[in-house]
Amino acid sequence: MSNSHHDHDHDHDHAHKPMVDEITDFEVLEIALRELCIEKGLFTAEEHRVFTEYAEQIGPTPAARLVAKAWLDPQFKKLALTDAIKACKEVGVDWLHPTGFGAPSDFMAFKILENTPTLHHVIVCALCSCYPRPILGNSPEWYRTPNYRRRIVRWPRQVLSEFGLQLPDSIEVRVEDSNQKHRFMVMPMRPAGTEGWTEDQLAEILTRDCLIGVALPKPGVTNNVTPLVREAIRPASL
Amino acid sequence: MTKKTSVETFEVLNNIVERDQTWPVMTERHGVENPLPPWKTSLDGLCDALDQTCNSKPPLTFKERRDEEDELSASLYTSLPYPENQLVALAHSLLKRGVIDETELRERLALIRQRLES
Repeated sequence: MSNSHHDHDHDHDHAHKPMVDEITDFEVLEIALRELCIEKGLFTAEEHRVFTEYAEQIGPTPAARLVAKAWLDPQFKKLALTDAIKACKEVGVDWLHPTGFGAPSDFMAFKILENTPTLHHVIVCALCSCYPRPILGNSPEWYRTPNYRRRIVRWPRQVLSEFGLQLPDSIEVRVEDSNQKHRFMVMPMRPAGTEGWTEDQLAEILTRDCLIGVALPKPGVTNNVTPLVREAIRPASL
Repeated sequence: MTKKTSVETFEVLNNIVERDQTWPVMTERHGVENPLPPWKTSLDGLCDALDQTCNSKPPLTFKERRDEEDELSASLYTSLPYPENQLVALAHSLLKRGVIDETELRERLALIRQRLES
């Protein structure tokens, strides 16, 4: 084939992002464990593929959509608070068949916890790292740490303040401990300044951390990741 | 020499830890920005598939897997970041229970590396 396919006019000037061009022991170990487990009949290659696909496509979007809908529709809110599994189906999440072929090991009862002006919820799994994955995606790394799991149940206000969330004493803090059969998610209160907003606009401010309960939704804050950009101390001089 | 500890250790895993090809080392060396290694979701799939099979029965229940991951990450494998510590802890749990044995794992690692480098 000639090089003529390079004649078309899209931009070829951008540099390719660098890649790790090195096979690591960990990459090899992951494959080895998987192959040996398959050979020993613990699961099939197809089961592994489906679970991997599932792990890659889940995220907090359906949860944000669910709460935004509930903020706008009192009937749907009632459903979300009384039959969360049924409400999840309306945002495309079926807890009984989340992977498309069956329930993963962590199938459970799912409940949505409503915040009020005098009550704030935050979720944890003190035992391990249970998390409402079908609707919130994979848990953040800190959620799995013994630091968070042990301390949030004992000193919730202190831990919340480490996330930048200071709550007045007039608000009761309730820590809901998940377990192998029970998962929870927080429904924060709709913040002021969002009057007249559409479902899409509301869903944008419902970040993952708001749904865990370590942050509150705020107009203008659509992502809790705020990378710091610092000016170079010695900028390159050309 | 293996450190004196009440926890069983496996040379094959200790060697991997010592070689330290962890993702932060790789990203630094190759100028890559991805926060997690490319094998992470496959490891998630592996843990989910195992949990589905062994939810509450041998060889490795969900609770045992997660408890041991926490214990080992805080003891034997403190030098590893996440998710390397999750992966090595899983290997440790499977070796400890005899689901796989050390010799077959060592042989398989060599075979796979040969395949990936071919």
